[in-house]
Amino acid sequence: MALLEIRDLRKRYGTVEALRGLSLDVERGEFFGLLGPNGAGKSTTINILLGLIIADSGSIQIFGHGFTSNHVAIRRRMNVAAAFTSMNGVLTVWENLMVYGRIYGVKHLPRKIDELLERFEITDLAKRRLQHLSSGQHTRVTLCKGFLNDPELLLLDECTVGLDPDIAEKTRRALQAVQRERKTTILFTSHNMNEVEELCGRIAFLSQGEILRVDTATHIKRLIPHQVVEVAFQAGSDLTPIRQLHGISRIEQNGDHALRFVLDDPTRQLDPLLRHLTQSGNPIVDIHVSRPTLEDVFIKVARGEL
Amino acid sequence: MRLMNSQDYGFSATAIGGLVYKFMCLCYRSLDRVFDIIYWPVISLLLWGFTSMFIASTSSFSGVMEFFLGGAVLWSLFWRAQTDVGTFILEDFWSRNVYNLFASPVTSIELFVAIGLIGLIRCILSFLFLSFLAWGLYAFNIMDIGGTAIAVFTSVLLLFGWVIGILIAALIFRYGLRIQILAWSVGFIIQPFSCVFYPLDSMPGWVQGIAITLPSTHVFEGLRYAIATGELAWQPLLISLGLTAVLFVLSIAYFQYALYQAKKLGLLTRFEMA
Repeated sequence: MALLEIRDLRKRYGTVEALRGLSLDVERGEFFGLLGPNGAGKSTTINILLGLIIADSGSIQIFGHGFTSNHVAIRRRMNVAAAFTSMNGVLTVWENLMVYGRIYGVKHLPRKIDELLERFEITDLAKRRLQHLSSGQHTRVTLCKGFLNDPELLLLDECTVGLDPDIAEKTRRALQAVQRERKTTILFTSHNMNEVEELCGRIAFLSQGEILRVDTATHIKRLIPHQVVEVAFQAGSDLTPIRQLHGISRIEQNGDHALRFVLDDPTRQLDPLLRHLTQSGNPIVDIHVSRPTLEDVFIKVARGEL
Repeated sequence: MRLMNSQDYGFSATAIGGLVYKFMCLCYRSLDRVFDIIYWPVISLLLWGFTSMFIASTSSFSGVMEFFLGGAVLWSLFWRAQTDVGTFILEDFWSRNVYNLFASPVTSIELFVAIGLIGLIRCILSFLFLSFLAWGLYAFNIMDIGGTAIAVFTSVLLLFGWVIGILIAALIFRYGLRIQILAWSVGFIIQPFSCVFYPLDSMPGWVQGIAITLPSTHVFEGLRYAIATGELAWQPLLISLGLTAVLFVLSIAYFQYALYQAKKLGLLTRFEMA
């Protein structure tokens, strides 16, 4: 049985359908990504799972129990770290974590707080008021709060926003380490596609309140089948015969002495292309093969092209 | 999701402890939270103390000092209880903490028990300070009214203050921060109809019609009766205590309804982004 089971979840705000029958299973211990453009329904889904929004219809089972009739007990076993939210600004980091630790009934709370502050490298901020922290420091405090109760299910909503690359990298390492140690199930949303690809085993791609596809990043990237080969030739090369090559989906001029080859079926088209290029007699000075990224898929989804 | 189920009525002592700890931290971390325990009540006591001294010196009306000062001290309890509920709820809106708080396993009952506990401590501090000040400045000892009377009066006023505070909190959850001014202003609307400083029968008929429905009116009528006769008018006080208890249950139910509506409309997450 999946740790989280969502069935036919629907939510409408006036004339806007935020969720249109969303169904999803997340297995225990998974690092699961929820991706989609703004308005796709990611935040609505997360907020329904937190009990902050009430769905119009559908069912949610978490830890094998119905969320509606067990939401208080279920929320004790889960947690959230969301950017753009806060805790009490006039309280210190330590005080805020003490408050939430008690609310979640955490045992050996001071020790737990020390451990998390150390893991996210903010021990020196313990006595600082939250309102005096930078957004990056604030984000790490939010993450500490998220892990306070060793949640079995953790919802991370844009939780690495505002972190500099170094701290973002450390935070990803910390997230992976904690997730591995505790076998925490993590539902993760981010607009940083590299991050999602690096962290998440499976990804659900949402668009207009529906799930387009649930799969690994590798398989999702295959939603865009083509690869692009960019080749730069030595100045003075005669590119006319190359431009007349058959069997390539699209050939575009890419500067004075360069061409871009779009391959819709790379496994069949790449080898003939490379053979043809070497046989053409034009010296190649640079070549670059680009595969579709998660970001390409995201952009196409956002533009309604997929 | 149903409006409420049995879990929403449950409470955990640890969670309440966490919330009380938060409110205590808020009090000692922000000077205005300490300051407001005494500031407005002291202003009111000074105003009515000097007014009553003047009236006492120019008329033969006996007990005027006790009427005014007793009214001022007891009214501060209602005002304190009512504004504390509103402002402690608003603190979470101002801090953008509503999201994290309501995503946690906290129930509304735990929230109000915690606010009630911290509010009670603040009310006791405010009451003791004002009683001492009234005794020091005007030789008025509110305990002369009697321990039982004080216990009944304060119970009704605290409970009624929480009723109004909870109703305002419900409206804030439903309509957002644009109505936050109610947290401070509703007390001033209720005060003239509560007959704090004048008897009910001195009011025009339409005012009496409103005043008699307010539990606070019966407390201040009872206070004047106790000062004048040395006895308690039990019947109206018990009726007002019962009425307040009913209103308290209704206000909690209305808060749950407003919270449910806020969740249905997705308002809890929108407040956070405001």
